[in-house]
Amino acid sequence: HPPCRGRKTVRTLTLARSTGVPVLLRPSSMDAKDILGLQKTSFPSAQEKKPRAPKEPQRKPDGVSREVYALTGGVGMAPLMPTIEASHLKRRPAVEKEKVAWQWLPFTSSARTDNLQLYHWVRVVNNVPPTGDYDFAKYNTKVDVLKYTDEEYEKYLTEPTWSREETDQLFELCQRFDLRFIVIADRFPTARSVEDLKSRYYSVTRALLIARARSFDEVAGNPLVKETFNAAHETERKRALSALFSQTKQQERKDAEVLAEAKRIMESRAANKNVEEAGAPTSLPNAAVPADGVSPLSNNLPSSAATHPAAAANTSIPDTLRMLKVYLRTHALDQMVQAVTASAGIRMIKRVDQTLQDLGVNLKPKVPTKAVCAEHLELRNEILTLLNIQKQLQNKEAEVLANRESSFTEAPTTPKVHAEWVTTLFSLCFCVEDI
Amino acid sequence: APIILSDSPPAAAAGAEPALTAAQKALRSKPARAPEDPDKKNKKLKDVEISFPIVYGTISFWLGKKASEYNSHKWTVYIRSATNEDLSVIVKRVVFQLHPSFTNPTRVVEQPPFELSESGWGEFEIAITLYFHSDVCEKRLDLFHQLKLYPEEDAGPQSTKKPVVVETYDEVVFPEPTEAFFLRVQNHPAATVPRLPPGPMELMSHDKKRFDTKDHSLSQWFSNFSEADELLKLAAARQQVQAHIAKLRRQLSMIEGMPQQSRVISGPGQQFGHG
Repeated sequence: HPPCRGRKTVRTLTLARSTGVPVLLRPSSMDAKDILGLQKTSFPSAQEKKPRAPKEPQRKPDGVSREVYALTGGVGMAPLMPTIEASHLKRRPAVEKEKVAWQWLPFTSSARTDNLQLYHWVRVVNNVPPTGDYDFAKYNTKVDVLKYTDEEYEKYLTEPTWSREETDQLFELCQRFDLRFIVIADRFPTARSVEDLKSRYYSVTRALLIARARSFDEVAGNPLVKETFNAAHETERKRALSALFSQTKQQERKDAEVLAEAKRIMESRAANKNVEEAGAPTSLPNAAVPADGVSPLSNNLPSSAATHPAAAANTSIPDTLRMLKVYLRTHALDQMVQAVTASAGIRMIKRVDQTLQDLGVNLKPKVPTKAVCAEHLELRNEILTLLNIQKQLQNKEAEVLANRESSFTEAPTTPKVHAEWVTTLFSLCFCVEDI
Repeated sequence: APIILSDSPPAAAAGAEPALTAAQKALRSKPARAPEDPDKKNKKLKDVEISFPIVYGTISFWLGKKASEYNSHKWTVYIRSATNEDLSVIVKRVVFQLHPSFTNPTRVVEQPPFELSESGWGEFEIAITLYFHSDVCEKRLDLFHQLKLYPEEDAGPQSTKKPVVVETYDEVVFPEPTEAFFLRVQNHPAATVPRLPPGPMELMSHDKKRFDTKDHSLSQWFSNFSEADELLKLAAARQQVQAHIAKLRRQLSMIEGMPQQSRVISGPGQQFGHG
């Protein structure tokens, strides 16, 4: 047996040694058989002269490697669009039409007031350097801080709490720091608050503008003239902001709870109002109730509970019905049911329907007489009340649970604050009873 | 305030004349009102609602042996008073709008009984439009009913004797009837007037009897709609719900009173100060 010298050699050997019996042209098995001297299977002679590459059922596409194609069999391949054209890769360093060079050139900027000479890389096209100002000069915004003359100061700008020197210093700083008042306040020689400085600056500028203008209307559009700076408001705002920022977590939670409570009350009241079309005025508590404003909330509730009319839904007719000269009882019932559930969400409506079904009551009465419709409407109202109370109870229970958990991690609240809180809830409970 | 009319003694005898007299009496009892008010016809009575309970629907019979592919059922669509009284007291005519595949699908019925019989094979929605007498209401009223020919799935084979009946109860409500209209019908058995004790039945003259549906050929299939069952069920449901509400309210108030762990309990009087 010939020694195993590598495929190529063996193959040639095989072909050369054709014994008249044609051979199957599959390299690996042929080599093995050759080495082992085994019998080779025979094929018609026509195939002998075929090209070396095995003839596959169909030609392998170009975008796919041989192994992948053999493995997949050509099934499930992505569209074979070329992603990178090999021809393009060679072509990249193409010759541009213009001649571009980069040069280290000096430049000036209109933003600079000194004559400092700076250099930078510039893209020069066809030996023509670019013209124009430095690109970033346009970002150098400046504020027009007005300058007053002595005469103007005497005439319009004197102020008991501000000396001439102080005002001058202020304006110089404003000019220097582009009206960045925090910085100006920092640098101001005497101790003055930011609001104070702003106030002085704005009032001086405003007075100057008005004085210099020929008529008031000319500058009336100027925002400096239109709005006046409200120092008190600003101080208050900043104080409130810092208070909010430095609130403890517990305070935050309390606020959220109170607001949620207020919202719920307002919603339920709005819902009732819808149903009743009540002329009785219901006093609405302030929506923005701060943590320490709990008592006004509780004061309002009893009064509105008293004015809450007895649920007489069948006497209040929706406007759409009033217009009709004739209508069907079922249509009237539909309208009134819609009016009742108008404020409730779709989920609530579904729950009401489900409850009706559970009670064995037809969603639409089979015998809709006046009495039956009235009873039906009353029942729906009562179910709504029931679902609302259920929700309240759930919320309350969750709250108790949360309180219990938090009580282990946080310092206990003062009894006074808590008392107020409980007072609200208790009075709310009373109102729920009254409904 | 309720109108004085409802307190007036009901007319002793039937017919239009006594009713007018009673009304005239009532009118005279009102201070500063001329007995013959020219606006009487158009004056609307507020707070007085007059309603007419009706039943409308279809009854359909399978034709059995005589059934063909395009003619398998004979059916009747109708609208009647719930107590089988005469509806022509308010209804001038009824228009039944059938499926366009019927010839002349718009069928007008000008006289009681307000019904229409046909035969066919298909189920479709029938539009029933009521036109009222001019003194009753200018507007028409539309009702819709789905014709049902075939019984429910599990009802077994069809029989020619037992029809498929679908009836719907409803009430035609006139919220602000004119005085004239009210006077005309307040004692009619087809009408329901709240707060008015049921007046004596109008003497049924021979003519009138013809137009009610009490002896209608199909009356054996008419359903009896009783509000008592529904009222009972509703009352029971309301009781259940009210009891549940009370229970939850108790639970809610209990939670309010629950002392919490982190609180410094200084006494109930101080905490429930609002009480």
